[in-house]
Amino acid sequence: MRRLAGLLFILASAAFSIAALSFGPAPNSSLLPEPQIASEQNLAVVVNLSNPVQNLSMPELRRIFLGERSHWPNGRRITLVMMESGQPERAVVLRDICQMNETDFNNHFLHGVFTGEVLVSPKTLATPVGVRKFVFNVPGAIGYLRVSDLDPSVRAVRIDERGPEDKGYRLHVPPRTSK
Amino acid sequence: MKFSGPSPIRVMLALKLNGRIIVWRIFPLLLGILVNTTILRAQQPVDAAAADKQTLQHLLQRIDQLEARVKQLEAAKQQAAPVSLPSPPVQASAPLVSETELQTDNAVPERMDVSKTLLRMRGFGDITLHGDSQRHDTTAFSLGQLNLFITSDISEKFKFLSEIVFEGGPDNIFGETRGENNTFGVDVERMVLQYSHSDYFKFTVGRYHTAIGYYNTAYHHSTWFQTTTGRPFLFQFEDRGGILPIHTVGASASGLIPSGHLGLHYVAEVGNGRASRSPITEEPVQNVVDDQNHKAFNLALFARPDAVRGLQVGFSAYRDLLAPVNLPRIGETILAAHAVLVRSKFEWLNEALIVRHAPNGIPRVFNTPGFYTQVSKQFGSYRPYFRYQYVNASRTEPIFPDVGLRQGPSFGLRYDASETVAVKLQYDYTALRGQPAVNALALQVGFTF
Repeated sequence: MRRLAGLLFILASAAFSIAALSFGPAPNSSLLPEPQIASEQNLAVVVNLSNPVQNLSMPELRRIFLGERSHWPNGRRITLVMMESGQPERAVVLRDICQMNETDFNNHFLHGVFTGEVLVSPKTLATPVGVRKFVFNVPGAIGYLRVSDLDPSVRAVRIDERGPEDKGYRLHVPPRTSK
Repeated sequence: MKFSGPSPIRVMLALKLNGRIIVWRIFPLLLGILVNTTILRAQQPVDAAAADKQTLQHLLQRIDQLEARVKQLEAAKQQAAPVSLPSPPVQASAPLVSETELQTDNAVPERMDVSKTLLRMRGFGDITLHGDSQRHDTTAFSLGQLNLFITSDISEKFKFLSEIVFEGGPDNIFGETRGENNTFGVDVERMVLQYSHSDYFKFTVGRYHTAIGYYNTAYHHSTWFQTTTGRPFLFQFEDRGGILPIHTVGASASGLIPSGHLGLHYVAEVGNGRASRSPITEEPVQNVVDDQNHKAFNLALFARPDAVRGLQVGFSAYRDLLAPVNLPRIGETILAAHAVLVRSKFEWLNEALIVRHAPNGIPRVFNTPGFYTQVSKQFGSYRPYFRYQYVNASRTEPIFPDVGLRQGPSFGLRYDASETVAVKLQYDYTALRGQPAVNALALQVGFTF
């Protein structure tokens, strides 16, 4: 009987595979790697759900991302989360918020830690999922995600009174390239 | 993140034990799911995919929450156990476990991981080939400072920072030299414990760089950070002939002043000040014993306005009472002002200060003014720079009679050979009062590691 069950399982698996191949990848399927999107996406700046901050001005955001502000208004220490070097999201943050290139950004933090003005260096994570998990778990964390990577576990803050879904929002990231 | 769950062997064993029942109960269900999934997959519209994605995200989130809950329960169970066997170290993936600020719902009691050091270390060093036209000076390769910069986040609010510097050559204190030419010594140049309450209040105790002017707190014991091969004469270290109390042992409060776009900051310091009692060639920084009860005070205010990125303007006022031997006590006041513009590709530093020495009971006051301006611009890996500096002390200045008048330009080129190595070539011309001018050339490699 177990052999029969195994056989049926193999047959069902084969049927599933054939069906999947026959119909091809479903468009916009969330189960498959995202295909290239034609237009730019907005890049949301995200904080922990417990963070009371709703809106940040661009200069405030810049100070936070350069480590010049180390605490939130509620007293929590700010923990900055950056994606790894080479990621388009990071490039947007460096260009539009920090107004620095990669080398200058690294030197800025090295110098800031050296002088004692910067309390901690940014935490670097590889994937949007990692960023989301980190921000979800750390009350003082701030990071960034594509709008398509947002979920209810984190909250997007408004920048200059504009949310990532609003017109005139200032942070845009190029489409993710399919591998 | 480390997922804990039943091993495949255990699953197989369970299946084997319950074989017939499980197969017959579950298999039709699995088959049904597969078939339905296949059919639905072919038929679902685009909107359904989006809905699935949302559901999936919710499920993933739920899984994360459950994992955190399991960890919490496991931790509680471990703590409750009366007998503890050596447990394997918790190998949690970064960043979640390395982070101590877990959300309240998922909070795990903080435990010390004895196998993990809290120290972070960075090193800096430089080597220079230097020659000048001064009599008795020779052209030489010189090992500069080997700087071990150590920090530690002791807790969310407390941070430790230190600079341990290995440095060769004799000390030069107000023109008096001590020590041998080619031996190395070790100095703890900075050692502070910082309490950070908020952006508006940080409190620091230990040995730190006095907040006089800009350069002294912007650049410490590493030439790699600096554009030029060395510090301006005004901000030279105490044991290298400098005239200012560069280091102080004491306490400091600093922070932001609520001022909107103006970006005002304050620094208030109290410390031992600089040694003034003879022998003058002893350690000029009063690390352990102050030669008097009077303490030195310093107050600095500066602004970093939003309107001009990289601009900082400010001033500071320092007050101490010196007690040199065979002289009346001397009130020392140092007033400094600065305006600097520092951006990634451009810097323009301007600082002026006056050191005022007023001996008690003597109507004369000795003022020593000084300034420097420095400008540089980055072109790719190259950064040409120019600096002009000036200091003018009276011949009868009671504290540093050897300084006199010094002024002149410096030209140089910094080449960043890599992100961590800089090569600098610098020419200095220094005019001196009553002595021939000095021409100097230096080639330096500075690096961080």
